[in-house]
Amino acid sequence: MQLQTRKLLDKSFTGLNLFSAFFLISALIIILGPIFFKGIGAFVFKGTIEYRRMIFDQFGRGNKEKISKEIAYSQKARKFIYDTISDFEKGIIVEPYIKETKKIYKEYKEYLASLKLTVPHQTELRRKSRSLHLLFIKAVESTDKGEIEDIFNKILSDPYRKSFDSTPMQKVFRLVTRYSEIVNQVDLSNREVYLEYLIDLKDRLRILLGPFPKDPKPILPRNHYGQTRWDRSLVKLDDVLFIEKYDYSDSSGIGRMVQYPRAEIFKGTPVEHIFSYLEDDLESILLPKTVFYWRFLIDVPLDSNIFGGIWPAILGTFYLTFGALLFSIPPGIIAAIYLTEFAKENWVIRLIRTCIGTLAGVPSIVFGLFGLAFFINTIHVSTSKSVLAGSMTLAILVLPTIIRASEEAIRAVPHTYKEAALSLGASRWRAVLTAILPAALPGILTGIIISMGRAAGETAPIIFTAAVSVGKPLKLWETLSQPTPALSWNIYNLCTEHEAVDEIRHVQYGMVLTLILIVLLLNIIAIILRARINKRLIGRT
Amino acid sequence: MKESRIYPGNLGKQLLNTGSTMTKRILSSFGHSLLFLITGVSVVSVLFIFIFIFRDALPFFKLEGFKDFFTSTLWYPSSDTQSFGALSLFFGSAIVTTGAIIVSVPIGVIAAVCLSDVLSFSLRQIMKPVIEILAAIPSVAYGFFALVIFAPLLQDSGSNILAMSSWIVCTPLILLTAIIGSGLLSSKISPVNSLYIRIIAALIIGIPLFAGLWFLSSYISGIQISSGTNALNVSIILGIMALPTVVSVSDDSLTAVNMSLREGSYALGATRAETLIKVVIPAAKGGIVAAVILGIMRAIGETMVVWMASGNAAKIPYPWFNFLEPIRTLTATIAGDMGEADQVIGSSRYHVLFALALCLLLFTFICNLIGEKFIKRSKKITR
Repeated sequence: MQLQTRKLLDKSFTGLNLFSAFFLISALIIILGPIFFKGIGAFVFKGTIEYRRMIFDQFGRGNKEKISKEIAYSQKARKFIYDTISDFEKGIIVEPYIKETKKIYKEYKEYLASLKLTVPHQTELRRKSRSLHLLFIKAVESTDKGEIEDIFNKILSDPYRKSFDSTPMQKVFRLVTRYSEIVNQVDLSNREVYLEYLIDLKDRLRILLGPFPKDPKPILPRNHYGQTRWDRSLVKLDDVLFIEKYDYSDSSGIGRMVQYPRAEIFKGTPVEHIFSYLEDDLESILLPKTVFYWRFLIDVPLDSNIFGGIWPAILGTFYLTFGALLFSIPPGIIAAIYLTEFAKENWVIRLIRTCIGTLAGVPSIVFGLFGLAFFINTIHVSTSKSVLAGSMTLAILVLPTIIRASEEAIRAVPHTYKEAALSLGASRWRAVLTAILPAALPGILTGIIISMGRAAGETAPIIFTAAVSVGKPLKLWETLSQPTPALSWNIYNLCTEHEAVDEIRHVQYGMVLTLILIVLLLNIIAIILRARINKRLIGRT
Repeated sequence: MKESRIYPGNLGKQLLNTGSTMTKRILSSFGHSLLFLITGVSVVSVLFIFIFIFRDALPFFKLEGFKDFFTSTLWYPSSDTQSFGALSLFFGSAIVTTGAIIVSVPIGVIAAVCLSDVLSFSLRQIMKPVIEILAAIPSVAYGFFALVIFAPLLQDSGSNILAMSSWIVCTPLILLTAIIGSGLLSSKISPVNSLYIRIIAALIIGIPLFAGLWFLSSYISGIQISSGTNALNVSIILGIMALPTVVSVSDDSLTAVNMSLREGSYALGATRAETLIKVVIPAAKGGIVAAVILGIMRAIGETMVVWMASGNAAKIPYPWFNFLEPIRTLTATIAGDMGEADQVIGSSRYHVLFALALCLLLFTFICNLIGEKFIKRSKKITR
C-alpha cells in the first residue's frame, strides 16, 4: 500500500473516532434538549384567567379583588358569545324543556300521593297530568308551527286546568306560555340542521372557556374551568374553529383528514360571527399573563394531575432514595473496608466478589419481583406495597455500586497513610478508622451520591413494592406501611395510562425535567467532588 | 511518662493495655467475623434472589410443563383457555438486544478508542462527564423520550430519517473506497503515478456505488412505518443506553494496554490507525468482549424503555428480522402483567412471570460469569 493511502486511512480513522465522540455528545443534546425546553413549560407559561380562578378556588392564592375584576372583564368579553348562542339555541335545543316537564310530572305524582285522595280520583288526575305533559313534550319536539299551536290550544283549554291550579302541574302551563312566545319569534325549521352541530359547538366552547353561565356545577374539577394555559387554549380554539372531516374523494378509499371551518356550517345565522370574534378577541376573553409557577414542585395534584403540582411524587422519590441509602450505606461501606483491609485473597473472597458482580448484573425488574416475593409476601415488612419494602429493594440494587465505589476510594488512599498510622502505634482497627476512612471519605461520598441518583431514577424495582399512581404526601411514619407516588413511576403512569394524556403533556415534561435535574445535580456534585479528590491526592504524593 | 504514673486512672489504663492482649485479640477476631458477616450480605442477597425467584417459578413448571413455554408463541395468560407460550417474548428480547448491540458496539468501541488514544487530555475531561451523564439519565426518562418524542417522529418521517442516515453513513465510506481503490488500481495499471488514471479509476468505482446508494435510499424512503412504537425505536434507545457501559469498560481495557506495545508499533513505522487496529485492540480484545457482554446485559434487563415504546405486541414479526413491527419483551411482560396477576397469587398466571424472571436471571448470571472471565484474561494479557 502506498504511503499516501495509509495516511489517508489513518486520517479517516481519526475522523471516525471524532465522529463517534460527536455522536455521543449529540445524543445527549438530542435527548435532553427537548425535555429541558418543554419541561420549562411546566414552570413558566402564559396562564389564562381560568388559571388564576383555579388557583384562587383550589389553593386560596391570589388577590381576590383583582381576580374578580378580571373575571368581570372577561365575562363582559364573553357575553357576546353566550348571548348569541342562547338566542340561537332557543328553537333548537329543547332538551331542557322536556327535562323540566318530566321533573314537574314527577313532582306532581309525589304531590298526588301525599294528598290522600280516593283511588279513582287520584288515578284520573294522574292519567290527565300524564297525557298533558306528554302532549307538551310532543309539541316541543315538533318543528311544525301549526301543530304546536294546535297542541297548545288543546292544553290551555283543557277542562281539567282549574283542578291543577296551585299544584306543581301549574308550572307546565307556564312553560307552555313561555314556549309559545319563543315559537312565535324563531324559525323552528332549522332544528334538524343545527341541533347536533350546536351541541358539539357548546361542548367545545365549554372545554375552551369553562361552563356556560347557566350550566349546573360540574362534578369533576377539570370541568369547572376552561383552559388554564394559553398554549392549550390555542389548540382548543382550533377545535372550536374547525371541524375534522374525512375526505373520501381519493380513489384509494383511505380517508384524508381535512379541517373544515365550523363557521361555514352556521353560515347565515348569528352564530357565524362568534367564530371570528373568538379568533380576534380570545386574548381579552382569557387574559393570558406570563406566570412563573415554581409551586409546581410543592403543590399537590388535583383531579389526577390535571391541575396542581407534583409534590407527593417528589416526596415519595425522596423517601425511597433516602430509605435505600439508609439500608445500603452501612453494609456497603463495611463490606468495602473488609474486602480492602482485612480479607485475604482466597476462594471465599472470590465468591463474595463474584456475588457482588452478579448482584450488579441482575435486571432491575427481577429486583422488583424479588422484593414482592420476599419482603412483602414472605417476611411481611408491610401488608402490601410500602415505602419501606421499596427502599429495601432499592437498597439491594445499589449495594454493589456502593461497595465498589467505596472499595475504589479506600484503595486510592496512599499506603503511606496506613503505614504512618501503624508506625505511630495504632492498631489496625484504629488505623482504618482514623487514618484511612477519613481520607477515603470524599471518594465514598461520591459513590453514595451516584447511587442516590440511581435509586431516585429506578422504576422497575418499585412498581410492585412501593409505587402507586395517585396518593397524598406521606408523613414520615406512614412510610412504614403505605405506598407512595414517585416521580419515576408517575412519569410512566401519566404518559401511558392517564385518561387525558395529551392534555397533561406539560405535567409529564415537568416531571421528567424535575427527575433529570435531581439526578444530574447529584451526578455533577459527584463529578466535581471527584475532580477535587484527584487534585488533592495528586498534590500530596 | 513519669508524671502520668502519679494518676491511678492512667495507671489502671496502662495495666489494662498491657495485661489484656487476650481480650483485645478476642475483640479483634470478633470484630473481624462481624465484618465478614456484614460483607456476606451481598452473597445472601444473591442467594435469596435465586431462591425466591426459583421458588415462585417452580409451581409454573409443575403446572404447565416446559414444552409449551419454550416452543409456543401463543401468549394468552388472561383468556379463558390460558396458554403460556413465551417464545415470542424471548424473541422480542433477543431482537431488541441484537438491535441495541448493533447500534452500541461499533460506536462504543470506536468512542472508547477515541477516549483512550485520540483525544487530548482536556477534551477527554469533557467527554467523560458526557458519558457519565448518559449513564445517569434514568431509564424512565429514556422511555419517555422514546414514547413521546421519538415514536411520533419515527412514525411521521421515519423513512426519510433512515434514508438520510444511510447517506450520512455511506457517503464517506464510498468516497474512501473510491480513493483507495483508485490508488490500488492505478498502481496496478501503470507504474507511473498518473492523476488522470486515478481520477478515472475513482469514477469507475464510485459511480456504481453511489447509484446503489441512491437506489437503497429511495427504497428506504418509500417504506411505510405504521407505528412509531416498534423494535427499531427501542433498539436505538437501548443502544444509546448501553453505550456508556460499552465505552467505559472498553476504555478501561484499552488504557490498560501497556504503552510499550504502542511504542513498539510506532517504532516499526505503523500509523496510529494501524497501531490501534492491529496491536492495541487485539491486545484489549478480552475487555472489549466483556464490554459487549455487559452491554447485552444492560439491554436485555432494561424494563421501562421497552415497556413504554416497544408496542407490547406478543408476536414474532413477519419476516422475523422486521424491525419496524411492534414486539414484546420478557421484562415488559413481567412489569405489565404483574399488576393484574398480583390479584391471583398462586395461579399459573402469577408464577409464569417468575418463570420469565428466572430465565432472565440465569441468562444474566451466565453472561456475568463469562464477562468476568474475559476481563480477567485481558488483565493477564495486558500486564
